[in-house]
Amino acid sequence: MSTLSSNEVAARSMRLGFRAGRLMEGKAPRRLALAALALLLAFLSLYPLSMLFYGSLHTTPPGMAGTFDLSGYRQVFTWPTAMLFANTVGISLLKTFFSLLLAVLFGWIISRTDTPMRGVLEVLITLPFFVPPILTAMAWGMLGNPQVGVINLVWRWMSGSEESLINVYSYAGVVWHMVQYSTPFLFLFVVEAFRAMDPALEEASRMCGASQWGTFRRVSLPLMMPAVITAFLLSFIRGLENFESPLFFGTPARIEVVTTAIYNSIHHQSIPNYQFASALSFVIMALMFLLVFWHWRLLRGRNFQTVTGKGYSPRVIKLGSWRWLTFALCVAFFLVSVVLPIGQLLLGSFFQFFGFYQWDMLTLDHYRSVLGNDEVWRAFRNTFLLGFGGASVTMLLGSIVAYVSTRTRWSGRRVIDVLAWLPWMMPGMVLAVGFLWGFAFLPGAITIYGTIWALLIAYVALGTPISVRVMSAAYHQLSFDLEECSRVHGAGWWQTLWRILVALAWPSFAVGWVLTFFGIMRELSASVLLYSVGSEVLSVVLLRMWENGQAEAVSVVGLMMMSLVFLFRWVQLRLIKRYVNAL
Amino acid sequence: MLKAMRSILTAACLIGSCSAALAEDPDWSGVVDAAKKEGKVVVYSMALGAPYYVAVLKSFEAKYGIKVESLDLRASELAERVRTEQSAGRFLGDAEIITTTMIEEQLKTGDYVQKVGAIPNVGNLREPFKASDVSVPAYVQPMGILINTRLVKAGDEPKSWNDLNDPKWKGKILSDDMRPLGSGNTMFAVLQNKMGASFNEKLADQKPVFSRDMRNDARRVARGEYPIYVPQVFAFASDLKGLPIKVVIPEEGAPYAQMEFALLKNAAHPNAARLLINHFLEADSQLLYANAWMLPVVKGVAERANDDAKMFANAKLMGMATLAERPSMMELARKLYQ
Repeated sequence: MSTLSSNEVAARSMRLGFRAGRLMEGKAPRRLALAALALLLAFLSLYPLSMLFYGSLHTTPPGMAGTFDLSGYRQVFTWPTAMLFANTVGISLLKTFFSLLLAVLFGWIISRTDTPMRGVLEVLITLPFFVPPILTAMAWGMLGNPQVGVINLVWRWMSGSEESLINVYSYAGVVWHMVQYSTPFLFLFVVEAFRAMDPALEEASRMCGASQWGTFRRVSLPLMMPAVITAFLLSFIRGLENFESPLFFGTPARIEVVTTAIYNSIHHQSIPNYQFASALSFVIMALMFLLVFWHWRLLRGRNFQTVTGKGYSPRVIKLGSWRWLTFALCVAFFLVSVVLPIGQLLLGSFFQFFGFYQWDMLTLDHYRSVLGNDEVWRAFRNTFLLGFGGASVTMLLGSIVAYVSTRTRWSGRRVIDVLAWLPWMMPGMVLAVGFLWGFAFLPGAITIYGTIWALLIAYVALGTPISVRVMSAAYHQLSFDLEECSRVHGAGWWQTLWRILVALAWPSFAVGWVLTFFGIMRELSASVLLYSVGSEVLSVVLLRMWENGQAEAVSVVGLMMMSLVFLFRWVQLRLIKRYVNAL
Repeated sequence: MLKAMRSILTAACLIGSCSAALAEDPDWSGVVDAAKKEGKVVVYSMALGAPYYVAVLKSFEAKYGIKVESLDLRASELAERVRTEQSAGRFLGDAEIITTTMIEEQLKTGDYVQKVGAIPNVGNLREPFKASDVSVPAYVQPMGILINTRLVKAGDEPKSWNDLNDPKWKGKILSDDMRPLGSGNTMFAVLQNKMGASFNEKLADQKPVFSRDMRNDARRVARGEYPIYVPQVFAFASDLKGLPIKVVIPEEGAPYAQMEFALLKNAAHPNAARLLINHFLEADSQLLYANAWMLPVVKGVAERANDDAKMFANAKLMGMATLAERPSMMELARKLYQ
């Protein structure tokens, strides 16, 4: 058997690259590829949505006798629903404003300043995002309830006041709980964009006499626009769809939002009102479309490319003694959003019951019961399998979609982009029902329903919008010169894709992968409707534990998940550091 | 927790060793043989992996060598999954354990369940529980009043539901939200019927604070956030022994939710499903539920329950919410608690 030398292999792969590139450059194959991509995305998003659309127009869900009417939509266009919507928008805007402000500030501090211990802070700031919301809700309930909350007890003891300092069961409590999740999520988004910025522009501003703040406001921030606007949009949309915070902290204060109304209409009505739930979701979706159009118009025709052919390394701004202030800000956020609630969880996991810290209640039983629980390990295995597979496929798909929509002029690219947005615009608990209906009503020969594939497909669909946004923001920053330069020097389409786009965008890919992976780990709505015996995932097992009153065991699993985050983020940051140094 | 699990598993093993007189019934022997041939049974349950439920399934597997696959879902998800699967012609489940009202709803809206047939242990059901053609009672979850024993003095303990309307508890009652479907609304509906319309009006004047997290609410009361919580599902407090809380069964009785078995249409393993239903009604299976502070549905179990569980196993029942009244009760609750 003959063997090939490395040169021959390289030459052959280059020829293959050229051929593939040529194929991609032809019109017919391009259309074919685009059509295949559109079909795939349509199956992932349009198909379940079409089932829901049917549900919104039909008096009964698919498979049941009923009639078509608009009663679901008529219920939506009423004064009480309008008030609900106003409430929801208000909460979402507030939380988006505060979390974006914090995320941009922390992103800048971590990526562009000489603040001490930035590497550690970067990992710590992102931690709250990865903890199941139900756990932090419980922890904040213990910390901030007006009667016996730890913070209020300390406040009363210190001030001698009879009044409470904070009340988490309020509008502010709902917003704060959302900010706690939103800030790390947005931070992950913007920090990479800050890193990918060519500091020459900032240096030019400084040399022209602009102050540090002026440079940040007039140069850094505008250049961050794609990432910031995308982050704003994602955060706002997610805010409209947030469920846990208003449920736990809003209900006692009689605060209702759109998602709690949807939840009630699906889970807590005499007969589940899917028609209203899906109609309301479609109205929200229509409004979200307006936002997405605004997003496109805002970015259209503007150039945000900061990563060009010129070599650069992210410049670290010397803050002098101010660096201790930035350090203190990060530490303060970490203390409030991580140490306080997670500390409660950690402490509580060693006691028989949360909040009862007596010597005779000290125990390791919760750790023993979790570590000795076969179901938990099986769920970990399934979740890891689905997480690794799902996150990888999702990011690959997201990278392709983002490439088509941002780096090509192909007709139809907007359709692809819209299709990829769709799952993000539908509240998760409604979309989950769409998947259930969609998979169950597939022709009998297609046996996705009741298998692990149903979960995988749902996860890919749910994760695609975020993977596309992450990769689009990254691609937006890459100059077209780089690709042109590569092609001029003889590289094929694939080579250019691999050695320029992939090489430069992979830190964002890694962030997107982590976000998607942990999104899969936390996803419950679709999981609980689509899982089958043997394919239980972690979120389903956590739900079981919670419903069985094992809050302490749930927190043990939550802490295990956080350890994983530490590990993942550490590996990711090490790789990014190596990559940045290699530039 | 580990101790509780251990005692449950020990009891489960005992069940496995019990011999049932019904095995002598030739017809039933045929069912048992057919069930063994089927080899497995798929149950849709809203027990969400509760240890006593798991223990009963394990004892069934040990006794008959039939594998049980239990798909745990919340009530509404369970009902929708069954409806969707059956509408799509995918008959994956054999049996379901779900509330009485949900089975009524299934019967009203479609053709999802089939006749259960004769189940020998149904003959052992105690009053007021009755099996129908399509459903068999499985267990009962009664609800009472939870108090914090540090905040409520012995003399002030509510004895009656009416005591909740004492002005001293104004603003001090934590309650499961009574407006949507759930335990809060079940209590609301039953008390509306049994205590008179003025009861709920007065309770609304007490300004109870609503919550939607039943599993955490008892802990909130234990921590001293509120002195009283309603409605407390007895079973949900059974694993909180050692905390300063007490479940009070009001003198008028306890509203309750009843869980029932139904055999799903076109079940692939109907005999195994029937055998499982029968096994659930074995005294030793029911004892596992009684010791977890639920009310057994068969005779001869309440008296065998652990000392701490006896009062709950023998609790006076007040009634359950009905399907017909649901919409009006939810509407009324919304009106009173706008």
